[in-house]
Amino acid sequence: MLLAAALLYGFLRIGEGAASLTGAPLPGSVLGMVLLWGALEAGIVRLAWLQDGAGVLLGWLGLLFVPAGVGFVAFLDAGWVWGAALAVSAFGGLVTVGLVGLVVERGVRRG
Amino acid sequence: MVELACLLGTLAAYGVGLRLQGRTSSPLANPTLIAILVIGAVLELSGLDYGRYEDATDPIAFLLGPAVVALAVPLYVERATLLDHTRHLLLGVLAGASVAMALGALVAWLARFSDPFTLAVTTRTATSPVSIAIAEQLDGGAPALSAVLSISSGLFAATFGPSLLDRLGVRLPVARGLAMGVTGHGIGTARMLQESRLAGATSSVGMGLGGLTVALVVPGLWGL
Repeated sequence: MLLAAALLYGFLRIGEGAASLTGAPLPGSVLGMVLLWGALEAGIVRLAWLQDGAGVLLGWLGLLFVPAGVGFVAFLDAGWVWGAALAVSAFGGLVTVGLVGLVVERGVRRG
Repeated sequence: MVELACLLGTLAAYGVGLRLQGRTSSPLANPTLIAILVIGAVLELSGLDYGRYEDATDPIAFLLGPAVVALAVPLYVERATLLDHTRHLLLGVLAGASVAMALGALVAWLARFSDPFTLAVTTRTATSPVSIAIAEQLDGGAPALSAVLSISSGLFAATFGPSLLDRLGVRLPVARGLAMGVTGHGIGTARMLQESRLAGATSSVGMGLGGLTVALVVPGLWGL
């Protein structure tokens, strides 16, 4: 567990360093994810070191978005724009989910 | 004291959401959605400042970075299947992210949204760490608003996405996962990890590549 925590935090910091050094348009955490995947492939990091810790953290993933999500209270004053933006998010989200799902499902089945 | 209450209250609200999700089959019983609405209502009623709540819950938000890094584990475990379908997955991400951005930008233009709202609805299909980074980088962006709209996209996807995919006959874990990852990012991925490890892994692929697409496209077009 402790080793997993140290590795995840370490790769986060490496990802953040890589993002600021290269000026890449991605957040450090996403780069850290890619770098850790690479380290697993290269055999530098073993799956067994991470599996338990990563599983626990990912099991709570939904909780981690709550504090930022509550930030909606700061925009309640925006009125109709707020409703319109949420409507775009809802309608656009359904269109995107359906489109991506169908593109991949049909593509994979056709081979 | 208030700080501790914020932290424990957030955990408790999420815990209630988890129990409701276990007891009902309603898609509205998403623990993240329930916790956000409950805590939002409490802040409004009590008059507690969001900034103070945000500082108090820093320990929770802090774990988001390591959690995103941890998505490397399902990616690595499912790599063989993912690499088999590279072409279809890339096509799906490009189609989904382009349509999502175009729809957002179109409505913002038609309804004459202000700059912060225009940027936020256009980048909502990127995970919140990415949309925040874009808003910080561009003139007229509001990072907090971009974060909230990204999270709303995640919530809508996690709530209504799986049943829509059922109705459309989308059954392959890679297809379901990618759709939820592109649109629902981390929250969609949390939902897909409940379906299967492969769906969760494909969802992280969708989240990463979808965020990359938005981050590469929007800054170049902003200001046109």
